[in-house]
Amino acid sequence: MTSSVNSITAETPRGSIACVGVGMTLGSHLTPLARSHIQQADVVFAAVSDNVVEMWLERMHPDVRSLQPYYGEGKPRMVTYREWVEVMMTEVRAGKRVCAVFYGHPGIFAWSPHKVIEVARAEGFAARMEPGISAEDCLYADLGIDPGKFGCQHLEASQLLYYDHEIDPTGYVVLWQVGMVGNRSIARDGHGGGHRELLLERLTQDYPLDLEVTIYRCATLPIEQPRIRRLTLQELPHAEISAEETVVFPPAKPLKRNRRFIERLAALDNEQVA
Amino acid sequence: MLDTLDTLEAIGQDAGLRYAAPEDLTEASALAEASDALKTAIREGNGLALANEFGSRVMQLVQVNLSPGREDEEPEEEGDEPEPSRPTGPDSL
Repeated sequence: MTSSVNSITAETPRGSIACVGVGMTLGSHLTPLARSHIQQADVVFAAVSDNVVEMWLERMHPDVRSLQPYYGEGKPRMVTYREWVEVMMTEVRAGKRVCAVFYGHPGIFAWSPHKVIEVARAEGFAARMEPGISAEDCLYADLGIDPGKFGCQHLEASQLLYYDHEIDPTGYVVLWQVGMVGNRSIARDGHGGGHRELLLERLTQDYPLDLEVTIYRCATLPIEQPRIRRLTLQELPHAEISAEETVVFPPAKPLKRNRRFIERLAALDNEQVA
Repeated sequence: MLDTLDTLEAIGQDAGLRYAAPEDLTEASALAEASDALKTAIREGNGLALANEFGSRVMQLVQVNLSPGREDEEPEEEGDEPEPSRPTGPDSL
């Protein structure tokens, strides 16, 4: 059984699933291939950022089923995400061509697209993911950051507290979902002052309190512009930061040359010349 | 005549409209028959006013687990350490 959705033949109607991203901005980012997956599907599931985007999707397909109702007050997110996988797989097992639409890129900061593809393939169904323009992509463009210049580390804020990650302050550090740090369900939405105090404590192991950081939110509607704010690190615990906003740390220390490997590279070059 | 969703898509796909100043955008011929809600949204630079036309819904944006190593694995016995037994990948955040 191949993993290619397009290899399914008419003689052997089998369910399949394609997880696609609509990008971040309505109308601007949807790829032709993602649109085609949506339009050719029997059923479309949607987990997007804005109800207007969901309505826009409904223009492309008559059977768009929102995944939003599966969230619940106080309900662990993982329960919701497992339900998403199950409801999508139910249609795949019924022989439907399923398209699951997520905002941004379906494989970035999204658990269920990866999982549903894993489950579908394990059961012998065709499954694939199509990339979309992510918040990270927009961030580079809107903030003028080239991740290749100093390096760029991406961390989910809660994970920074749960695990002993090493921050590299010589490059950019992008901290995602600061507004939701420590929040396991949707009961508390974006007001984790105490949690963020802990996050600040962790961050000050690597950064000075007066470091200027950037709070970034990309546009989801084409009538919006990116929201870019700057504040000092010490203001972070009490700043209004929504779930979709991202905190960007600039390089705070100079890059340090690795003389040992520079010398070894030079030696290799000399050997090739000789 | 384009309705609001069609107009939003048209703005998103047009380099001349996407970054036009709000006052220029609302005067553009493509928006001659735009709804009041859309024109207000353009002037305000956000989609809040569109709720007058489409209603409003709180959309949950987070799609990953925020306490990795515990909820993304099978339920564990009370008191188990929240450490994963294997390295976490991007799909198990």
